Amino acid sequence: MNTLRGAVLTLVAAILVVTVINPVWAQGISFGAPHHASGIVPQSSLMAWIFAKQAAFYRSLSGFIRASKDDGAATWSLFGISFLYGVFHAVGPGHGKAVISSYLVANEETWRRGVVLSFASAAIQSVVAIVVVAIAAVLLGATAKAIGLTVHVVETVSYVLVILIGLRLLFVKGRSFLIASRELTSLQTPAKATGSLPGVSKSFHRHDYGSNATAFHCERCHDDGRAHHVHGPHCHGHDGHEHHASAWGHAHGLEPAELAGAGGWRRGLSAVVAVGLRPCSGAIIVLIFALAQDLFWTGVGATLIMGLGTAITVAAIATVAVSARNVAKRIATARSGLGMLLMRAIEVGAAGLIVAFGGLLLAGYVASEQLWMFAG
Amino acid sequence: MTKRTRAGALAGLLLFLSIAHADAHPHVWVTFHSEVIYSAEGAMTGVHHAWTFDDMFSTYALQGISHAKKGQYTREELASLAKVNVTSLKEYDYFTYARVDGKKLKFSDATDYWLEYKNAALTLHFILPLKAPATAKAIQIEIYDPTIFVDFEFAKDKPAQLSGAPAQCLLTVDLPHQPTPVEQLRLSQLDSAPLDASSTYGETFANKILVKCP
Repeated sequence: MNTLRGAVLTLVAAILVVTVINPVWAQGISFGAPHHASGIVPQSSLMAWIFAKQAAFYRSLSGFIRASKDDGAATWSLFGISFLYGVFHAVGPGHGKAVISSYLVANEETWRRGVVLSFASAAIQSVVAIVVVAIAAVLLGATAKAIGLTVHVVETVSYVLVILIGLRLLFVKGRSFLIASRELTSLQTPAKATGSLPGVSKSFHRHDYGSNATAFHCERCHDDGRAHHVHGPHCHGHDGHEHHASAWGHAHGLEPAELAGAGGWRRGLSAVVAVGLRPCSGAIIVLIFALAQDLFWTGVGATLIMGLGTAITVAAIATVAVSARNVAKRIATARSGLGMLLMRAIEVGAAGLIVAFGGLLLAGYVASEQLWMFAG
Repeated sequence: MTKRTRAGALAGLLLFLSIAHADAHPHVWVTFHSEVIYSAEGAMTGVHHAWTFDDMFSTYALQGISHAKKGQYTREELASLAKVNVTSLKEYDYFTYARVDGKKLKFSDATDYWLEYKNAALTLHFILPLKAPATAKAIQIEIYDPTIFVDFEFAKDKPAQLSGAPAQCLLTVDLPHQPTPVEQLRLSQLDSAPLDASSTYGETFANKILVKCP
């Protein structure tokens, strides 16, 4: 039975990893050929189709923008195509979903908050593109080179923020992992228990600040439940509360308990801002093109609708990541000790992925959308 | 950390790195025409490119460029932009890769560059001189962006031609294509039977110019 559970757990963990890194995986497509064909899903043809569609939608945008100058119906077609482009675009490259998914997994977020965060980051992304073009192009008459450099600076800030968020999570989750592993060791070898417990409380006191203390409290609560195979009512009540708290709900009252686990709205917001800061090259090009046709507001509308499409895809991917995590959690809870340790390990891994994404993007290892390629 | 978990972590990292070395998708479309230039001595000296950008990117690139007449840009007005273009392209090896017998040929910095604006599209002209003139029976020139941010496509009517080449030289053009089911299958097996380190899929489906001088 235990081996079966272990196998299921491993499978779920694998799905989790694939879900989180799949968006990056998908970037490896060139001319319809997959870079790293996965044996799990027949990605090649599906991804090739998605990429072809996306390119076709994007290329048709210019025609619709031109047409919408004297044809009202074309504006609606433009918005429709923009929406589809957003949906398809988000399936492809972009670190946004990868970071958001990893963040949700690492931070024990609920799917509800995942959806809210996905929409918020997509909204910020659209607004940043609009603001950059409005200030740089409309007000200052800046060149493409200047806009490209601006985007580059904003991008760099975004990547640094992603790294910082990842490091913070890695620190918090790494600590939980160490505590879980020490407790597991102490459970298995009672003789060493006395030696390890003071270490735990020491680390608890050393980092005892703000919401982390409550986070620790919650974990300890879980750990207790695990150790005795009994879940205290407090634990469940607490859990349930936190799972129904939305990003907005947190804004009203900052009860320490609400900040536990779910990470707090402030941290959620920081992740969303970090990801959303980086504007999409496509949106900027579309906005400038619309501006040149004296249709700036049509461009703004198209950009916002594009963002809506993107949000739907990102939210879907984030939901899958969160669900996979929840399945893993359910199995892990039933599997005392090691299971909890594995959960902590998954969180640490997800936090590590965020740092890695940020670092690679900053180092330019992941080819981002370099607007300054020809113009900077 | 046990040895096993450490090995697992390392494997995971390697997998991640290999996946993360990923590509963007096109936001710039270039239709190009290339001329392979030969010296009087019959050696290949360089490539003359003419790249036409798609209308959206052309408009984007023209943003903020001052011009006297609305909707018109002179070669002089575009001179600074042309300079910016070729300077940035240097970082990307001008997306042009030449090979003789599997060995890469090196290009010097672009010369004679200029931009023209026609039919709402920008065309960038430039000459890419080889560092050392090449004489070989077969020379292969590929034009592609390994990161797929730029989509290159041969011009339909005049994709490529020779200029001043010896009479026996013959130029052929190899268009990139959507992979056939057989190729798809072969590509999907590349994980277990990988290509050599220098190869990329982008290259597999690159626009190829082959010059044979028997």
